[in-house]
Amino acid sequence: MIRLSQERAKVLLAVHGWSGVLLGLLLYAVILTGVIAVFADEIGDWSSPLEQETVAPFPVGLDAKLRELATTVDPKYHEDLSIFPRAGGRIEAFFHHHITPEGASQPEDFGVEFKLHPQTLEVLDRREGFGEDIGAFNVSNALADFLVELHVSLHIPDPWGLLVTGMLGLAMMVAAVTGLLVHRHLIKEMFTIRKFREAMLVRRDAHVIAATWNLPFAFILAFTGSFFSFASSMGIPAMAMVAFGGDQVKLIETIVGMPPVENTAAAPIGNLDAMFADARQRAKMEPAFASISHFGRADAQVTVFTRPADGELISHNYVYDGPTGAFVREKPGLGLVPSVGGAAADLMGPLHFGNFAGLLSKAVWFALGFASCYVALTGMLLWTARRAESPAWRRMERAVIWVGFGLPLSLALVPWGYFIGRSRGAMELEAPMAIAFIATALATGLLTILVSEPERLRRFLLAGTGVALIGAPGLRLIADGPGWMSALSAHLSTVPALDVALLLGGVLCLRAAWGRSRVVVPAAQDGDAEEGEVAAS
Amino acid sequence: MPPSAAEKSGPGIARRWSRGILAGPVAFIAAAVVMAGGALWVPKGAASIDNIVLPIVLFPAIWAALFFYTSLDRNLLRAWLVTLGLLVINGGMIAMEFVGKGAAA
Repeated sequence: MIRLSQERAKVLLAVHGWSGVLLGLLLYAVILTGVIAVFADEIGDWSSPLEQETVAPFPVGLDAKLRELATTVDPKYHEDLSIFPRAGGRIEAFFHHHITPEGASQPEDFGVEFKLHPQTLEVLDRREGFGEDIGAFNVSNALADFLVELHVSLHIPDPWGLLVTGMLGLAMMVAAVTGLLVHRHLIKEMFTIRKFREAMLVRRDAHVIAATWNLPFAFILAFTGSFFSFASSMGIPAMAMVAFGGDQVKLIETIVGMPPVENTAAAPIGNLDAMFADARQRAKMEPAFASISHFGRADAQVTVFTRPADGELISHNYVYDGPTGAFVREKPGLGLVPSVGGAAADLMGPLHFGNFAGLLSKAVWFALGFASCYVALTGMLLWTARRAESPAWRRMERAVIWVGFGLPLSLALVPWGYFIGRSRGAMELEAPMAIAFIATALATGLLTILVSEPERLRRFLLAGTGVALIGAPGLRLIADGPGWMSALSAHLSTVPALDVALLLGGVLCLRAAWGRSRVVVPAAQDGDAEEGEVAAS
Repeated sequence: MPPSAAEKSGPGIARRWSRGILAGPVAFIAAAVVMAGGALWVPKGAASIDNIVLPIVLFPAIWAALFFYTSLDRNLLRAWLVTLGLLVINGGMIAMEFVGKGAAA
């Protein structure tokens, strides 16, 4: 039992409610898109599979192909080469250098990007330009990227989008901590549903149970999420200003680990296939990313990153001497030797993304994230329903239903925009996806104005989401996606698995639309449980 | 939370505004300045990066500590003094660093 004075408990309860109500709608949007973003890799593989499963993301023969491609690009782009697998196992190889565009304060990547077939190593696409501009033409990853970007910055330009999501992370942290402190009988409340009391109390109990069990996870997500948002938008520029006179490149070099002494003499790169094989053997995992600095020079350095092996939390970074291919060291994510700061920063990624134990940890993160959505939505509905005597709060309740049930519908229609755009041959797919998302948001907003009964509105939106989810696999087929039999025979298990998940989700939404209400709180006529409880303390 | 009779009065409203400004924008700015100042006083550690990385990683915790302290301290004047003190000390260290670099250049 947590003992607080009545005055402090009231302050914390007010902070808990207002942090949720003022930022709750946006926070709900960030959590919901984050739940989907957990499966970003799988969404990419589902929406744009190749004809066969990719077994080796860095296949033998990549060494020869990269040497060949290096001869076809301007040597200034040899400064940096990034290699990583994308949707369907396609390999992206980006030869680039760093230039500062006119009017920008920091350098950006500019160069030539190749997209390679992982089995044949055939060049599927070649584009030259700024990394961000090239990304707009990434047809195969467009759906996953759109959803991830919605989670990371709500599609608001940098750094403002990151600052907004960072603030939302802080609000979530406040809601989690105050939620812990205001519920005095925490252990008891983890198991209490007063079934035979008023509907409001039952719903309040359900909110508290879900929130209490979910509390450690919500805190972890909020902390790590606000770290990621603020680190790049505010932390790195501020630290660069204080410690490096504003030079962010120097700061990154310092914290990542200083590059070898400069030697511009020409020297062919060592055997990359052998380096990838060595990293695979050391980590007992496939490489996930490789970075080569000064390709074709005597000071070339190759860094191979692998995901954590079974039973591990932290990924591995192996450094190789470029010309000889000799293993140099395993380095931490940050710095050249283990440190407290490096270890703390290394933990942020796996704790936020839940990708440390493959599909199992992702599924757990998805489920806990879904519970966070439930907590955020029911919390807002409880808060507004308890103040439903006021017309302003009744309007707020409808706005909560609009976002709470309309956003899933808008998100479910994003794949529709993607597949329709792709089947019509569009090369930039952000526009059709944005149109689908915004048009649905506006249409559901109009519906919110027209349908006065909140429960009816909720049912409409749920039914729409059900239809949108059930329709997505069909549209995938129309846009030349593989059928289940051909996908299974090519070991593309992600395709039918996600189809089934969408169909199941759609059926559950339709069932909820026609079933008995479990979530929406009717206009409040019950007492104020939480405030009454605090007042009694 | 419904305001009490005292809080509905003129001084009560001013006090609520003062606390809101302190716990909101002032606490956030103070947390950002403490984070940036940390580059100068946090030990560098084995890899010479802790002074850069730890304040960035711990920024949400620094902000949360300041937010809850400024929201809950009954003595509002003390909360203002502590927060502004942190802001001035860290801001002063950053200013001295810039002055020192300017003089060296």
